[in-house]
Amino acid sequence: MKKMIKISTLTVTASLLAVAAQADKWSDQFPHIKNTGDIAGECSYESMSKKDYSGQKLTINTHAVPVIGEPTALHAEQFSKLTGAEVNVIHTPAGDLYSKAMVPFQAGQAPYDIVFGFSNFIRDWKQYLQPVPAKYVNMRQMQDVTQSHIDVNSWDGEMIQFPIDGDRHYLKYRKDVIDNPEYQAKYKAETGNELRIPQTWKEYGEMASFFNGWDWDNDGELEYGSAEVMKKDDLMFAAFFSRSVAYAKNPRVPGGYFFDLESMEPLINGPGFVEALTDWVEATKYVPPGGINFGLGDEINSFGGGQTLFSFSWDDAFVAAMQDDSPIKNKVGAAPLPGSDRVWNRSSGAWENEYNQAPYIVWGWTAAVAKASKNQDVAFDYLCFFANDANHQADIAIGRFGVNPFKKSDFVPELYVERQGWDPEIAKQYADTLMEMEEGSTNRVFPLRVPGVFQFNSAIATATSKALAGQLSPQEALDEAAADWKKIVKRIGADTIREAYAIGVALEDNL
Amino acid sequence: MGTFYVTLKYTAVTLWSMFVIAPFLWALSTSFKDFNSVTSGATYIPWVDFEPTLEGWRVLLRSPAQGGVNIVEPYLNSIFVTSLASFLSILLGTLAAYALSRFTFKAGFVKNDDITFFFISQRIMPPVVLAIPFFIMLGKLGLLDTLLGLVMVYVVLLMPIAVWIMVDFFNKVPVEIDETALIDGCNPIQAFIKVVLPNSIPGMVVAGLFCMIFGWTDFFFAFILTFTEVQLLPVAIVSLNSSITPWWSLSAAALVSVAPLIVVAFIVERYLSKGNLSGALK
Amino acid sequence: MNFKHKYLFLLPGFIVLLGILIFPIGFTVRLSLSSWDSFFPGLDFIGLENYTRLFTDDPRFWESFQRLSFMSVITVFLQYTIGFALAHMVWKEIKFQRFFRVLFLIPMMTTPVIMTVIWKTVFHESLGPVNDFFSLFGVTPLWLSSEALSKVTVIIVEVWQWTPFMFLLLLAGLLSLPKEPFLAASIDGAGPIRKFVYVTFPLMAPISIGAIIIRLIEASKIMDTVYVLTSGGPGTSSETSSFYIFIKGLREFQFGYSAALSLTYLIIMIISLTIIAKMLVKLMIRN
Repeated sequence: MKKMIKISTLTVTASLLAVAAQADKWSDQFPHIKNTGDIAGECSYESMSKKDYSGQKLTINTHAVPVIGEPTALHAEQFSKLTGAEVNVIHTPAGDLYSKAMVPFQAGQAPYDIVFGFSNFIRDWKQYLQPVPAKYVNMRQMQDVTQSHIDVNSWDGEMIQFPIDGDRHYLKYRKDVIDNPEYQAKYKAETGNELRIPQTWKEYGEMASFFNGWDWDNDGELEYGSAEVMKKDDLMFAAFFSRSVAYAKNPRVPGGYFFDLESMEPLINGPGFVEALTDWVEATKYVPPGGINFGLGDEINSFGGGQTLFSFSWDDAFVAAMQDDSPIKNKVGAAPLPGSDRVWNRSSGAWENEYNQAPYIVWGWTAAVAKASKNQDVAFDYLCFFANDANHQADIAIGRFGVNPFKKSDFVPELYVERQGWDPEIAKQYADTLMEMEEGSTNRVFPLRVPGVFQFNSAIATATSKALAGQLSPQEALDEAAADWKKIVKRIGADTIREAYAIGVALEDNL
Repeated sequence: MGTFYVTLKYTAVTLWSMFVIAPFLWALSTSFKDFNSVTSGATYIPWVDFEPTLEGWRVLLRSPAQGGVNIVEPYLNSIFVTSLASFLSILLGTLAAYALSRFTFKAGFVKNDDITFFFISQRIMPPVVLAIPFFIMLGKLGLLDTLLGLVMVYVVLLMPIAVWIMVDFFNKVPVEIDETALIDGCNPIQAFIKVVLPNSIPGMVVAGLFCMIFGWTDFFFAFILTFTEVQLLPVAIVSLNSSITPWWSLSAAALVSVAPLIVVAFIVERYLSKGNLSGALK
Repeated sequence: MNFKHKYLFLLPGFIVLLGILIFPIGFTVRLSLSSWDSFFPGLDFIGLENYTRLFTDDPRFWESFQRLSFMSVITVFLQYTIGFALAHMVWKEIKFQRFFRVLFLIPMMTTPVIMTVIWKTVFHESLGPVNDFFSLFGVTPLWLSSEALSKVTVIIVEVWQWTPFMFLLLLAGLLSLPKEPFLAASIDGAGPIRKFVYVTFPLMAPISIGAIIIRLIEASKIMDTVYVLTSGGPGTSSETSSFYIFIKGLREFQFGYSAALSLTYLIIMIISLTIIAKMLVKLMIRN
């Protein structure tokens, strides 16, 4: 498997770099793809120019500008020029994407042909969506997508959402500190431990505390340990789950992570999760002032602006740090999320003292076509065009677009070195880390994708934020969340939820 | 005693003025910043603390394909919808308020005060729950995503304010004025137009201003009830609010969206002192 | 007065309001008796289950109500006192009168959805000017992330934004006061304080009450401030009823339950406001 990947990436690299040398007629017209020129495929510029959609109209609801919003609008313009279709795009803030799409759907209207959203909406909105036709699934462009991203956009083997972006949580750290021999010596002298990429959350906490509250990069400002998404909103519970996966996802215990699949009992107040929440409450001591109220934007500002040693959620902070005008460009590194020295076994009811690490295949941006759309062909062609090789290569090089790698051919370090001026060592580390998570791991956790997912997420968010605020102890908070979850399961119906949850569990248990 | 009060007055007024202006100054300064100026700590004076850039302002005129949001059309849409809805609200509201102030209504146990309260209680309802029914209603009438649809919804939201305020103001206009006009041979409608209205200009101007403010700054209904054809200003501006909050363009947008209302404020202030009663009775 | 004319005046507005609102209100009532949510849209009938749930199984709703009462009463009280003081100060002769009057109106003209983001940057604990100032004294108050202060910050923003509302209403009221009572009081030898207490204040009572009631109604709906600044946090310490209803409705998509919450909220508010109005009348209008 690894050899196959290596060969295919080498081929792709070679061809990409070769192609880069020649500009073609499409890159003259569309400067966006000037680095690669048009890349052959069913949805390339060349192919699209042969289609005639004049007189047809597409309406798209996407995220605010620029993250995903700008590429949507840009590709809409390009698509329009190539095919003659009229494409209208509206932009909605992240938290409102769901309601902006669902209110019309539920009221029986379908004003949008294409809706953008987060991939964990899938169970709730799939009843209104048109599955991706086989012809797109079988394209080479789609076959290049990593297995995790195909899984995250599919339901029970059927692709419902169109992969247009990749997302994951991974550890980001300041290389200029961790690799710094002076600091390594200082750390060893004062704590007796090695300063290295943290292998466990406990190490993470120790290092973050050590580097909290003093100016370790000599820029005249204080720096802190870690920037995390702790604000009680739509995203913070992802940060919590990232922290808990190492403690609670036991590869030897199948049958459910959030719930016990059989009984539909919530597992979130188990010792593994409680341990993670205890860590997180500790973390409130090594975040910058106001860190408890950091949303994703604040985290990006903080780590990307050079304020903290660590961060671990989505790609954006890393991308921001590696922008050309960033003061910490090429001073950051990427690594898998920390693991844990022990993992809870819920069958035996005891801790197992074995190192455990598991990627949390967290959700990201996705797009889908409405079932009620009258222009489904046009819509799917647009999405395919959005994600075609040329556009995708160009998009991932522009940090503010928010489009991150999700195709096997993306994990080629040379791309980042050439096009974005990354340090070769960092580019290799980045590519390896992500590739390993996407393709290499068998002990994974998928996001909760059951009916009423927002109710579950909201309950966890409220409970964990109470713990962070010190209103409840971690055990109390998670007990409260578990009690809420039980009520929600009862309201929606245990069988309905089990049926949906089984799909995620099957993926996790590698069935 | 006199000078103490005067000093106190000027100090208080100055302090409050500073409190009022401070966020605007901050917004002005921030509108010239970029990512690095914002993330390295609080910065204030351009060229001294940070390198200014016009990016935050330019974004407001660019199209989304170039990373901006063109606010010109939403701006005009907002002006149209707000003005029309406010006008209709004042019209209907003033008439209703006059009736409630002057005449007695009785339908069973429901009296004037109850009807007035009915009007204002429309404002209590949290907007969230009205999202779906208004959506369905406008959908059935084919008014989704149209300027007229929005005007209709806003009239319903703004009229109660007009009624509530005008009832208070009409109550302050002595009934003798109406009666004098009637004795002089006017019918009630003429009495209303010729005599009572001119004396209630401050009230109407205040009610008008409130209607315009609530209409111009509404986000929720504009958000739920429009898609691509019609965009109002708040919705357009919020479409800049992506994962990285753009402090700079939102600051510029905030200043730009408050500007027209400042003009209206000047007009309102001018009319505040008109319609003073003490002359009319003589 | 002539019987026919009174309906001519009242009915256009009344009918428009009733006509447009009848469907939404009726729908909301029907919605509250269903379990409409994201997975099961549609008006099924579950009777009073939503109401039972909110009365017996939802301490968070009642807590949010408590917080709401606390915050809105304080906010409106501050807005009233400051607004009245300001109106009184710019009522008569003062230098730059026009400037001050217009300036004091401006905060309420900002769009809350946008202005609160600006406030968030102002109060940002690491990157904002407020804490930059406080760091001179060596403290970093946690404006948005401490249980106690988060409420204070919300109140500060609300007072900044809506005091102009009171200011304008009360100023208009002051400007339309008749001159006679003041002349009479001067003749009686009353000084400024006695004039205020015995003439100005009682004459302003009806407008004051109207202003307070409408401000209480509006203050109770505060959403944008809480949503942007603190998301109801930390924990649930700045969560108000309207915020909670919003979360249940448009975030968790439990529309049926949200409708039941809204109607309960509506009834409680109507009752409270009627009581408060009567109290204010007793307090302010001393015969």
